[in-house]
Amino acid sequence: MPSLSSLAYYAIHPRELRQIIQWKVWHNPVHERDETKDPASLKRCFDFLHLTSRSFTAVILELHPELLVPVALFYLALRGLDTVEDDMTLSLDTKEPILRNFHDILEEDGWNFDGNGPNEKDRQLLVEFNVVVEEFKKIKPAYKAIIKDITKRMGNGMADYVKNAEFNVNGVDTVADYELYCHYVAGLVGEGCTRLFVEGGLANAALLSRPELMESMGQMLQQVNIIRDIKEDHDDGRRFWPKEIWSKHVDKFEDLFKPENKELALNTSTEMILNALNRADDCLYYLAGLREQSVFNFCAIPQSMAIATLDVCFQNHDIFKKNVKITKGSACQLMTESSQNLQLVCEVFRRHTRKIHHKNNPHDPNFLKISITCGRIEQFIESIFPSHPKPVDMKSPASIEEAAKKKVEDAEAKWDTIYLILAVVCTILVITSSMIFIAWLAGARFDIAFAQLKEQLGDLFSWSSNSTIAEVAKDASGHSEL
Amino acid sequence: MSSESSYTPSLGKVVVVGGCGFLGSHIVNLLIERHPNTRVFVVDLRTNTNRNASANISYHDADITDYAALEPLFSQFRADAVIHTASPHFNAKKDILEKVNVGGTKTLLKVAQETGVKAFIYTSSSSIVLDPKTELHNADETWPLITGDAQPEYYSTTKAYAETAVLQANRTPANFLTCSIRPAGIFGEGDVQALPKMIGALRKGQTKFQVGDNNNLFEWTYVGNIAHGHLLAVQALLQTHKLLPTVPLDSEKVDGEAFNITNGQPVYFWDFARAVWHEAGDTVPLSGIWHLSWEFAFGVGAILEWLFWVLGKTPNLTRQQVRYSTITRYYSIDKAKKRLGYAPIVDLDEGIRRGVRHILEQEDRQKQKKGQ
Repeated sequence: MPSLSSLAYYAIHPRELRQIIQWKVWHNPVHERDETKDPASLKRCFDFLHLTSRSFTAVILELHPELLVPVALFYLALRGLDTVEDDMTLSLDTKEPILRNFHDILEEDGWNFDGNGPNEKDRQLLVEFNVVVEEFKKIKPAYKAIIKDITKRMGNGMADYVKNAEFNVNGVDTVADYELYCHYVAGLVGEGCTRLFVEGGLANAALLSRPELMESMGQMLQQVNIIRDIKEDHDDGRRFWPKEIWSKHVDKFEDLFKPENKELALNTSTEMILNALNRADDCLYYLAGLREQSVFNFCAIPQSMAIATLDVCFQNHDIFKKNVKITKGSACQLMTESSQNLQLVCEVFRRHTRKIHHKNNPHDPNFLKISITCGRIEQFIESIFPSHPKPVDMKSPASIEEAAKKKVEDAEAKWDTIYLILAVVCTILVITSSMIFIAWLAGARFDIAFAQLKEQLGDLFSWSSNSTIAEVAKDASGHSEL
Repeated sequence: MSSESSYTPSLGKVVVVGGCGFLGSHIVNLLIERHPNTRVFVVDLRTNTNRNASANISYHDADITDYAALEPLFSQFRADAVIHTASPHFNAKKDILEKVNVGGTKTLLKVAQETGVKAFIYTSSSSIVLDPKTELHNADETWPLITGDAQPEYYSTTKAYAETAVLQANRTPANFLTCSIRPAGIFGEGDVQALPKMIGALRKGQTKFQVGDNNNLFEWTYVGNIAHGHLLAVQALLQTHKLLPTVPLDSEKVDGEAFNITNGQPVYFWDFARAVWHEAGDTVPLSGIWHLSWEFAFGVGAILEWLFWVLGKTPNLTRQQVRYSTITRYYSIDKAKKRLGYAPIVDLDEGIRRGVRHILEQEDRQKQKKGQ
């Protein structure tokens, strides 16, 4: 049941309500899934998917049947890794071997783990992880190899971070470290998904030769999460905003949250958002390489949400005070717009790019850089969907001589036209007058016709006219009827 | 960004026509800095300003429309390359524009062809495809030239004629190679148009106003990047010359081609101005800006123009300015990237910083002079 406050909210924002209804009523999944024949273990896997993922579940469930199960299992495997990495109650000695060997665990019959702390959200997934293993073993070997490879690299990357004591105390240091962290937790997911899409024949294989594009897909999502969750992460004792960025604006990380540092905190957030926004054109480029509708939706919806989230976070001091989110209505609108085609997604990007640009503060150190990045996104969209096609060549003269020649020609052409019109008029005149003359010879009564015309015009404009046709007819005796 | 080490120490003998001008002097400085062993001849109407102290440069006063004066100079230079940047001011009289831009360029071409010059680089203008009525979104070099009656700016018409003449002269004779560089919205140290005007608006307190919705992207180019583009073109043409008589592939050809050169960073029109103003000390907050609609400003501009016309003056707000500040105008530089290996070497914000600092320093010097 919707809460009272949300009812009140939608009462004054009917447009958002409309968007929600539109999405719920009109959206048909690209591929519907028949669950009745699923084995018990697969059903349990989908239960976990529902429990663990909020935003992703919907798009995963609509994926092409060829990829649905592999992607779902890929997601659960990564979720399992995450649950081990995140748990502050686990000791390093317990964590490290699990993280580093998780790719083998995926094929270890009956493996499960109940060592997580009681508060760990997805604890149950690891407790019953054997169902994931059971299903994983059934998928195509090619998919298995991709998922194992990514899991291996991600697990090792996470283990390195967990082992890095400095990271645990001071958070991320440089921008390069920050992006490397995002690479392990998200960039690799982008790579894994892309390889699965290409393997399944649902995406252009050329995407694999442009690794920076799939990297950007993951980076964008992860960076947006890190920007949005600044307050929540800080409360939980985690720091993902790199020191290299915040130290330019404040001395201590905690200072970002002090109300007196509002301006400085906003400047810091601008720089963070700039870094994420720089990935936007790559993401659109990537989306252009997807062939299948459900895969397109799967990738496009989160990206649209990401740029919309950047928009609400931009120049918004609330991110340092509470969890800022896009409203449910806008989320539904974004989902509707992002499950059609690339052009509409580009419109979404352009809309939020311009909103960001209009909030851009001229006195922020990164003012012009934000403007340049927004301009780059617009230019990229323009390059794939030109709004103004190249004008038709009007053959302007190419030199003074040509211009002079053209002037002479134009003048000649002008006189030619005048002569032509004159000739036409003369011809018509000659024909008309000779026809009238012949008619007169044949006894036509132009005087009657003229008087009649005059009378009718007189009626029309209510002149008082004394002369009648009869009178005229009487006078005209010299011209006999035929 | 190109690495410094890949540049040859010398480009041979290079003539920079207009080398004491705004762009020309930047070209000379970069040329000497990057290829220090190059022998540089600067030809300009007057050579007493913007001089570089290097011993490899000589300065020569000459009028480029005067064949009799140019011929002996060029015979003496025996140059490998000519960079022709000379041009009158945008608002110069029609006959001057025609005489220098068209006549002067043709004279230079003739002299260069006669004295065995290998490479001829012409500084054109991206405004030659600018039709005042159509917006330019990502315009590339294949867009039609707008000249004659369709082009209200005679400057652009003459630049287009000159460029056409330069490109037509390519490979006549077969060892004479030409190309053209089309910069857009040039600014930087020594600029007398863009930045001084904007700083002037700041001093008059006009930064509170803004015309239009500011969604129109506009292209500005730091002068150093344009100089960089010119030097890449010299290198490319000399390279092609070495391969003669082999003709490069159509998709790699530089000779006979025109190239858009910009910062590759189009920004919203007012954002550039606001960045300049901020750099020069403006403090008007985002919330303190008055947004005038396009139609309103256009109407006010028209009325002001009439009123001031009676007084015989030009108002601060004109219809032309309103049009310029609300039009979309940006270019694609993909061709220069692919064929010249061009990429801007100075970012837009660094360019603004340099240009504004230069103006503020000048202002300070003038104040000190007055104070003494």
